[in-house]
Amino acid sequence: MNAELQLIDAQTAVQVRGLNVVYETTQGDIPAVQNVNLDIRKGQITGIIGESGSGKSTLVMAMMNAVAKPGRVASGSIEVSGVGDMMKLSTEQQRRARSTELGLVFQAAQNSLNPLRRIGHQVLDLGRSHGVKDLRALLRKAKDLLERLGLDADRVLTAYQHELSGGMRQRVGIMFALVLDAKVVILDEATTALDMLSQASVLQIVRELHEERGLTTILITHDMGVVGDLADRVVVMYAGCIVEEGVTQEVLTSPKHPYTRGLIRAIPRISGDIDKAVPLSGSPPDMNTYKQPGCLFADRCPLAAPECQQSRPPLLEVETGRHVACFRVNDHA
Amino acid sequence: MILVVASFTFFLVRMMPGNPIEAKYEQLIMSGYTPDQAMSAVRVMYGFIPKQPLFQQFVTYLWQILHLNLGQSISYEGTPVMKIILGAAPWTIILVLTGTLASFVVGVLAGVIAAIRRNKVSGNLITVSGSLLHGIPQFVMGLFLAYVFTTIWAVFPYGAPYDASLTPGFNWPYIGSLAWHAILPVATYALSSYGGWLLTMKSSVISVLGDDFILAAEVRGIKPSIRMRYIAQNAMLPLFTILALSIGFMFGGSIFIEDIFDYPGLGNMLTNAISYKDYPLMSGAFLLITVAIIAANIATDFLYSIVDPRIRR
Ligand SMILES: Nc1ncnc2c1ncn2[C@@H]1O[C@H](COP(=O)(O)OP(=O)(O)OP(=O)(O)O)[C@@H](O)[C@H]1O
Ligand SMILES: [Mg+2]
Repeated sequence: MNAELQLIDAQTAVQVRGLNVVYETTQGDIPAVQNVNLDIRKGQITGIIGESGSGKSTLVMAMMNAVAKPGRVASGSIEVSGVGDMMKLSTEQQRRARSTELGLVFQAAQNSLNPLRRIGHQVLDLGRSHGVKDLRALLRKAKDLLERLGLDADRVLTAYQHELSGGMRQRVGIMFALVLDAKVVILDEATTALDMLSQASVLQIVRELHEERGLTTILITHDMGVVGDLADRVVVMYAGCIVEEGVTQEVLTSPKHPYTRGLIRAIPRISGDIDKAVPLSGSPPDMNTYKQPGCLFADRCPLAAPECQQSRPPLLEVETGRHVACFRVNDHA
Repeated sequence: MILVVASFTFFLVRMMPGNPIEAKYEQLIMSGYTPDQAMSAVRVMYGFIPKQPLFQQFVTYLWQILHLNLGQSISYEGTPVMKIILGAAPWTIILVLTGTLASFVVGVLAGVIAAIRRNKVSGNLITVSGSLLHGIPQFVMGLFLAYVFTTIWAVFPYGAPYDASLTPGFNWPYIGSLAWHAILPVATYALSSYGGWLLTMKSSVISVLGDDFILAAEVRGIKPSIRMRYIAQNAMLPLFTILALSIGFMFGGSIFIEDIFDYPGLGNMLTNAISYKDYPLMSGAFLLITVAIIAANIATDFLYSIVDPRIRR
């Protein structure tokens, strides 16, 4: 597909096309994201799920064109509504889009602050970086957000990172992603350091803010319950590929990719009964998995047929708004 | 610590071969002093009375030190040690501080550049410059500079801290002459410590560059100038610890460097004291150097607690 000729449609906030990200390591290149095509719809909450190492974080970092070394975007385009192709913008234009258009709470949000500077000063640094005129108003906004997230804002703003708990830091990270009114907000396991109750309340607030501000939210989590409760749509990743994508309810109740099915069956909370929880058989993908020409899931797949070993199944629209990458999508019982 | 050094120098002087104190005492008796006169002369000179029991001598000695009385010099007949040391100290302190400061600033900046351009030729050249200079001992560097710039190519003056024809005081020709004469020794200090700063700063910056909060700053679109400040601030922390060590090391180096450039500082004074067996002066100088190093350490701790909120109370 040709990115220049494509006009991003009005429903789409971020359009990812032909995205490939590799990490160059001494053992060889790890294709952490492979051939990803994805439309993130405006105003919706999109959940991304998948095993550890399936490339979720890498995908969202690539959306901001901020993949850290030794990773690099090998090819692809990231059209962001109202901004342009992140891959083609100048460094300065990309920088200006961050925080103002795209806000990211990244996985290591607990260490996302300069240890030598008070939080309030770092909010001001953010404001200065993006040409905010009224810095007082910015601080007030930061304060309101922190208070909504259940923190003692005055204390937090005058504190240093080491004076805050892990959960407090994550909430400060969420504040940073929202304080400049980004329209697309990405939360990469942003609530992992919180206890169940705080997690529920923080996610509740995220949902409220999402609705109030008409945000587009991307939520990476390992918690299927969270996906079920919050996400409008869900994206399932396996070994750097999207294997299934669709409306949350449909995907969770009638998964079409054998991996999604296995994933859901592995979680008692969704299937209902702990005795029925079945762990996925086989081992997670490794370097050798990536090298083979066939479906990356074939080795663990109960439905694997000879054709699955020969070529990769493309992500196809099997119903309206429902994409699955499987040759045997219609063959299961 | 100061007490330990004070005690150490006391016993060192006591155990010197030939016992300088007794020798002096005997020498005074022979030159016509009465035992009483000789004893009080020696007492003034060393700060304690030789004929008393060792312990009592020790106490007297410490008592005198507490009153900043370091006794009197032997080689500069009768001049109080304190006065000689205070006369020599400023020269050394100015040289060492200027040299340290210059190399710190240049080395740290070069270290940042070397870290950021570490995959480029320019960055590698900077790193190599640091490694090379770091490998050269201070006195070799001093001899080399002295040879090149005063002998082969006589651009800089040699010996004496200022032009003898000028009147010391607060006037431009005099200050200019001071600076001109100080360039080579300062350059020796600076060049010999530049590499250390550069290499330490480089590795420190590289490790900070891998920290999550720097990636976070990038993802938040923090301006490059502010991001650079974040990196530099955090990378500088380990350097403050070394600063104290380095200043102590530089004071040690003054023995060679002031000898090479014939500069009237503490190093030169100590060399002279050793060659004239001027024990009061020696122990005074040891004490002072210890005090200076301890002071540098305390200052560093203080500095550290200012820059790093994590160790603030
Ligand atoms: N800095 C790196 N160097 C080398 N390989 C990396 C690096 N970061 C990630 N990878 C590899 O890229 C792949 C995808 O990693 P990524 O962090 O995107 O996974 P994830 O889905 O976010 O996992 P998790 O759920 O554990 O956060 C993994 O195979 C990982 O080993
Ligand atoms: Mg991740």
